[in-house]
This record gives sequence, structure tokens and C-alpha cells, in this order.
Amino acid sequence: MTAARLSLQTVATAAFRLRELGIAIALLVAIAIFAVQAESFMTVGNWRNISVSVAVVLAVAVGQTMVVLTRNIDLSVGSIVGLSAFISADTLSTHHGLPIAGVAAIAVAVGIACGLFNGLLVTVGRVPAIIATLGTLYIFRGLVHEVSGGTQVLAFELPASFKAFALREVLGIPALAVIAIAVAVLGAAMLRWTHWGRDFYAIGSNPEAARLAGIPVARRVLLAFTISGGLAGLGGFMFAARFAGVSASSGSGFEFDVISAVVIGGVNVFGGVGTVLGAALGALLIAVIENGFTLLKINEFWKTAFQGFAIVTAVTVDALVTRRIQEALRQRRRREARDAARAEASA
Amino acid sequence: MTASAIAVARRVVARWEFVLVLLILAAGTWSTTQSRFFLDTENLLDLMKPYVFIGLMALGLALVVIAGEIDISITSTLAVSAVAFADFWDRGLNIWLSCLLGLVVGMGLGAVNGVLIGLLDLPSLAVTLGTLAAYRGLAFVILGGGGAITGFPSDFTRLGLRDLGSTIVPIGLALFLAATAVFAFVLHGTLFGRYVYAIGSNREAARFSGIPVDRVRVTIFAISGLMAAAAGLLYASYFATARADAANVALLDVVAAVVLGGVNIFGGSGTIVGVFLAVVLIAVLRNGMGLANISGEVQSIVIGSLLLGAILVGNLMRAARDRHTGQGFLMRIHERRLQRGKHNRPPRTRPGLGIRPTKGAR
Repeated sequence: MTAARLSLQTVATAAFRLRELGIAIALLVAIAIFAVQAESFMTVGNWRNISVSVAVVLAVAVGQTMVVLTRNIDLSVGSIVGLSAFISADTLSTHHGLPIAGVAAIAVAVGIACGLFNGLLVTVGRVPAIIATLGTLYIFRGLVHEVSGGTQVLAFELPASFKAFALREVLGIPALAVIAIAVAVLGAAMLRWTHWGRDFYAIGSNPEAARLAGIPVARRVLLAFTISGGLAGLGGFMFAARFAGVSASSGSGFEFDVISAVVIGGVNVFGGVGTVLGAALGALLIAVIENGFTLLKINEFWKTAFQGFAIVTAVTVDALVTRRIQEALRQRRRREARDAARAEASA
Repeated sequence: MTASAIAVARRVVARWEFVLVLLILAAGTWSTTQSRFFLDTENLLDLMKPYVFIGLMALGLALVVIAGEIDISITSTLAVSAVAFADFWDRGLNIWLSCLLGLVVGMGLGAVNGVLIGLLDLPSLAVTLGTLAAYRGLAFVILGGGGAITGFPSDFTRLGLRDLGSTIVPIGLALFLAATAVFAFVLHGTLFGRYVYAIGSNREAARFSGIPVDRVRVTIFAISGLMAAAAGLLYASYFATARADAANVALLDVVAAVVLGGVNIFGGSGTIVGVFLAVVLIAVLRNGMGLANISGEVQSIVIGSLLLGAILVGNLMRAARDRHTGQGFLMRIHERRLQRGKHNRPPRTRPGLGIRPTKGAR
């Protein structure tokens, strides 16, 4: 009996593994198509490009994964990226002596403040996450405009050491990609092994049950939003380094890259299911497709359309699969109960 | 007599709509300090013109939110409808026939949302987030990239710009008023309207009472798409151009209008009069801030704060009212959904009856 139930749970786990495998296959297919169609696709230089554009999305997507796991969503990350990128780059342009780590610290601090604000709105203010972060998406963006006063931070205002940073490589991997990989590994480890990381899954699976089990739900959700904000801040720093310049509209629409990476990567919008690895695969798939479209001179707006359809498809598939598995589990349980009753009657 | 008069007065004052009227007057008073032309009858009527498309979308969204769902794809639906209409016209179709086709396109896109949400029972937030991106991409694809279609006949552009006949009422405003009246009648005066409230209050109970829940839910999303398309046509008429990036920052104003209008974000309550007044409030505020030379993005800080403030105030008042029955602390929307959904738990009567973990349990 236990064995039967266990095997079904294994099936469920396998289904989610299959989900990541599906994305990996889609990724390989996309790579194969572009490799054949666009001659400059499989070059070292191009993959360096892809890795850097994945890096910024991935760093932010790790935080978004945590938020979505708790059955919430953070729409404001694009604006947080813009705000932290502008404030940190603007500070650097007037204080050239600032070390790189200092610039990153400023950006992360700005992000944490924004994330904390979102988290408090959702937990203490009880504003639904979608509405709260829709509001702060516009509020933070307005703040960028207010802070910038219509000006930009241009490349020549930034010290050479900062511009060199984005070009630096570790073992042939761009520094920005190294940061993103570190963030992803750390994030995955925390979700896997820390008790608060497991709490995220518990909260997303069933908030009420999590509360009754003694999990401090509000504190965990607040933590998820704060981490998401902080990583969006880090993303802002990486954004500024990558483009060596920031304008008031930098990072607008970026939330779509992040959310579609997370959702396509199998992080369930109902909460409770998903991994950083999936989100990373999703981010890679989007970056590869964007890059391939550019090389093939396909209008970039097809990418937006593709992302949207991919989100809807992923959500539909996830919902249908989850429902099928739940139904199977329920039937199995019913059959077991019937068998047990029959065995008792015959005994 | 006087006692009942006072009671009536008290009931009026206690209504959210009354607060909105006060806010509009306050915003208007501030605006007069910014420009002495503000109080011109002409200006007062004209200041609504650029916000009619917001109002039309807000009416459709109000229906969706009262039914306990959300539709954030409307601004993209607006763009697709406007661009599709312009494309039909550009290919030589009659302008009014193109308008009709544009409306059909918008309604179709809304119906797609509705089928995914109503029939497949997917979460409206995730679906419309996806279609928000998908439809925006579609708009660009129809136009074949950037660019714009312009040069509409004046018969069409006067819809958004000119006054009705020889009066001083702008046609756009008249259309908005008419749409408001229709929505108020449908929501407050028909069986369909009662269904919408019932579904928003408790979907499962609505289903058990024989309400065709699925059909109503698909319909409200189709209506939301239709209103977005109507908004798209007025947008194209007012700006005399159809672009794929049309209204891409209008979502805040629409959602703010619905929430400020007193529609419960968790579904089940709200009035069309409130939504109408909230649209007027936003128009007066934006107009006044424009007169004060505040940029659009910075204006959004104010509108965004109003949106969040309205929900926070609502939650505070509700928390004060039922302090002892207050449910958990987060994600009411999901918990309500669980209750309404298949899990079929009993209604919320017990929440928080001392089942909270004792201090230090974890």
C-alpha cells in the first residue's frame, strides 16, 4: 500500500522532472535550428553575448522564483532594476573612487528597500501581490524619472575600471555570468536545504496548512519579496555594468523576461512547485530565441509574442498536469480505502 | 422626520461615492490654483477627452473584478483592436465596417481569455499576464513592426475630438456616459448582473444555485475585450493614429479607477457609479498635475499611491470591523479562491479561532 502510494508520488516528481527535461529539449531544438540557419550563432563571441544577457535575467529570476513559489508575484522587478541601476551609476559618476563592490552594495541596498516595501504591502497591508507590485511598478519607475530629472548617466561619465569590469572574464566566462551562476547556485542550495527555503514550498502548496503547521507565513513572504528586491538591485548593477550607461527608462519591460523565464521554466504560478534550475533553463531558452531572432533578422516583436504564448502554454500545461496527477492520487486513495474495507469485511 | 433625514444624510456621507466626490472637489480646487482656466466650463468638459479610453476599459474591468477575477491584458487588447481596425481600413475597407471588425477582434481576444479562464479554470492573473505580452506582440506583428497608420477620415477622428452636434459636450464624453449608463443597468438591473456579483462572492455557491457560472465567466471576459476594443477605437480617433505600442502605460490608471471606485479587489462588490467617479477623479488629477508641469511618469507615483492607499484603507476598515474574525494575514484572494473552488470547504466562519501557533512553537 505504502509502496503503491510512494510510486505515485514518484510519478508526480518524475512529471515535474519531465517538465524541466521538456524545456531542455526545446532549448536544444532551438539551438540546433539557429546553428543551422544562422552562421554566426555557434561562435564564441555570440555565446558570450548570450551568457551576459542570460546573466542579468537569471540573477533577477532567482528572486522571482522564490516569490512565485510562495504563490505571489513581483511585477515591479523591471522598475527596481531601473531605479537601482540609475542610483548606483549616478553615484559612481560623481564619486569615481568608489570600488566596484561599493557600487553593487548601493544597488542591492536600493533593491532591498524596494523589495521590503513590496513585501510589507503584501503581508502587513494585505494587498494582493499582483495589485501591490503593479502599483509599485509605476511608483518605482516614477521615482527613477524623479531622481534622474530627465538626465542620463552616459558611458563617458563612468570610470574606466567600471567599464572594464563587465568585459573581465574568469576562465573564459564573463564576470557577469559568473555572478549570475553564483547567485543561482546559492539560491538553489537555499531552496533545497535551508528550512526557510522549504517553507516557501510549504506556503505555496497550501498557505493555510503552512500557517497551521506553525510556519511564520508573513515573515517568509516578506523575506521572499526582500530577496527578490535585493536580487533585482543586483540585476540593476549588472545592467549598468553591461550597458555602461543608464537612462530613466532602463529596464522597463524587463519584468516580462524574468517572469516568462520563471513560468516557462516550470515554476508553477499556483505556488509550491519549481526549481532554480528550471528558471535558469527558461532564461536560457528566452535569451537563445531572442539572440537567434536577431541573427535571423526576425522582427524582435515576435519575441514578445512568443514569450506571451509560451507563458499561456506553460500555465495551461502545468494546470492540466497538476489536475491529472491530483485526480490520479485521489482515485488511488479511494481504491485503497475500498480494498482495505473489503479485506476487513472478509477477515 | 428630521431623525430620518439625518439617517439618510449619514448613509450618504458614509458611502464611498461621497468620499470620491469630495476628493474630486479637492483635486479640482487644487487645479484652480494651478491655472485660472481650469474652471472654464469648456475645460471642465474637455479634460475628460484624453481619459475616455481609460474609462471604457475601467467599465469592462469592473465587471471582471466584481466577478472575482482580473484582466491585465486589456491595454494590449486595445492595441491589437486599434491596429487591426486601422489595417482593415488601410486595405480599403469602409471605415465603419473596419470599426465593427476592430470591435469583433477585441471581443474575440477577450473570449480567448475567457475560455482559458472560464472553461479550463486557469488562474486569470497568469493567463492575462501571458496574453498581455502575446497580444502586444500580435499588435506589432499586424503592423509589421513599429510605425503607425494615420490619415483617418475626419468623420472618424471627430469621435474623439469634436463636440456632440452644436452642444459643448465632447462626443467621447457622451459615449462614455452612455456606456456607463448601460453598464450600470446591466450590473445593477439585470439577472446577468446579479450572477456576476454572486459568482464574485462565492463561485461554488453560485454554481450550486444553478447559475451558469462558466458561461457568465467567459462572457465577462469577452465584454472586457469588447470594451478594450471600443477604447482602442476612441484612442485611435483621439490621437488620429494607430500604433502597436498604444496605451502601453495605461494599465495603472484603469486598475486604479476600478479599485478607487470602490470595487472590492477580492470580488463580490462594487458599483458602476463609483468607477465612473474614480475615472473623473483620475482625469481631474492628471489634468491638474499636467497644468502644474509634472511629467506623466511622476504623475504615476501619485496615481499608484492612490491605488495602494485605497486598498490599504479598505483593508484597515475591514480589519477594524471584524477584528475577531480576521483571516490569516495574506493572500486572501487565494484562500477565497480555494473556498470557491473545488475544495469546497465550508464558508469562512471560524478563521483564527485560537488555532494560531503558540508563541515560540517554531
